[in-house]
Amino acid sequence: MNTPILKTFLTSNLNIDEKEIISIVENCTVKKVKKEEFLLRSGEHCKHTFFVESGLLRQFSIDQKGKEHILSFAPENWFVTDRESAFFNKPSVYFIQALENSEVVLIDENFVKLLSKKVENFTDFNNKLLHNHIRHLQNRINLLLSAVAEDRYLEFIKMYPDILLRVPQTMVASYLGITPESLSRVRKELASKNFKK
Amino acid sequence: MKTRTVELVASPREPHFVGDGFRVHNFIPSGYRMDMKRMDPFILMDYNSTYSFPPSEKPKGVGVHPHRGFETVTIAYKGKVAHHDSSGGGGVIGEGDVQWMTAASGVLHKEYHEKEWSKKGGDFQMVQLWVNLPKKYKMSAPKYQAIQYKDINHYILKDNSGHIEVIAGNYKNTNGVASTFTPINMLNAKLNKGRKADFQFPSHYNTTLLVLEGNIIINGSEKVPTDHLALMANDGEAFEIEATDDALVLVLSGEPINEPIAAHGPFVMNTKEELKEAFNDFNNGKFGYLED
Repeated sequence: MNTPILKTFLTSNLNIDEKEIISIVENCTVKKVKKEEFLLRSGEHCKHTFFVESGLLRQFSIDQKGKEHILSFAPENWFVTDRESAFFNKPSVYFIQALENSEVVLIDENFVKLLSKKVENFTDFNNKLLHNHIRHLQNRINLLLSAVAEDRYLEFIKMYPDILLRVPQTMVASYLGITPESLSRVRKELASKNFKK
Repeated sequence: MKTRTVELVASPREPHFVGDGFRVHNFIPSGYRMDMKRMDPFILMDYNSTYSFPPSEKPKGVGVHPHRGFETVTIAYKGKVAHHDSSGGGGVIGEGDVQWMTAASGVLHKEYHEKEWSKKGGDFQMVQLWVNLPKKYKMSAPKYQAIQYKDINHYILKDNSGHIEVIAGNYKNTNGVASTFTPINMLNAKLNKGRKADFQFPSHYNTTLLVLEGNIIINGSEKVPTDHLALMANDGEAFEIEATDDALVLVLSGEPINEPIAAHGPFVMNTKEELKEAFNDFNNGKFGYLED
């Protein structure tokens, strides 16, 4: 199956020619998932990193009261996985679910090993990706601990410019750790500041 | 005058729900032969073929969403729709009415089955079109044209053949009431069984026919059944349709705008940068606010 987004992502970031990338990427499985279908459920072992070719995924947990908490959204060109499960072999506490019909590349350990072997600067690049991911998580924790709802929202729209139009408001509120009413209030206040008739 | 031939006859694709109130077959943009460029200026057509909605106390529909860069045209054939927008505007369209909304620089709106109609339920049939705007009008002020059926001019065909309702453009010197930014003809042809009507549009106008009721034959040979769409080639001006039973046909013909199209979600602009700006403006409240 075709994986143009992953190929472009790799060729634009690594010293590797397209032919070689094709031979490596061809070994990956591409999975078509329907809206609402799960790629991972709590209690299962996560065996892959998921790269989104098209569509939209979310990673979330459900607390003891049955409430959902969204850890991340993964639109096109994003990776998502449960690292604790995939790399430390623990049962997952997360769900990964499609919010739209999606095409997802299943990346396993062999893929990463093969790239490390064949591409000189892959380890540097992979480290950079990891640092970037940790930076994002640090920011997110800091915002959840200290920022007002408006600042969390402003950071969210910078990170995910088109998600607001693709998911229900309740999911955005869940990601931001605020109530849907607070999200409504924030958006209303922004509109009263920025809307010019 | 050269005959305009049929390029293809498209069957309705699997329906999907827009919100929970519109069960539509998407005809445009679909596949490379009916994409936005090919059908320009008609960049989207969603067809809610006749579908019976059960009574519902809570009106079904689509919640608040934005548009920028084009016009939405909703033609109600059966059922009633209420709409509200961020500038405080609103209205109800029923059988035969047309709502022509110029989103242009941006509106937020929501569309629901009209409250009383929803309580009773019944047959629902609508067409929603997106009509593109040329670059110079994409960021102009939004506006509404609420077109009531009683104000739509009819051209009566001879020999008890039926009539042509002119929503926009013209048919044999009968003019449409809708004002458009580029030359567009939008007609409802109501033909009696066994009768014919002929049409002429400049050959470069992109032209398509949606059969909402009955069955027709185009140019004496191409059969187009109910709920199918005929895409006309750009190889001539004149064509003729014959109703093999009482038929209702939406005829669209428009001059292509021929500008670059950058489309994502509810925004249709000319460049990727303008699309980015549209998302940014929407996220930051520049389209206003509308309660769900």
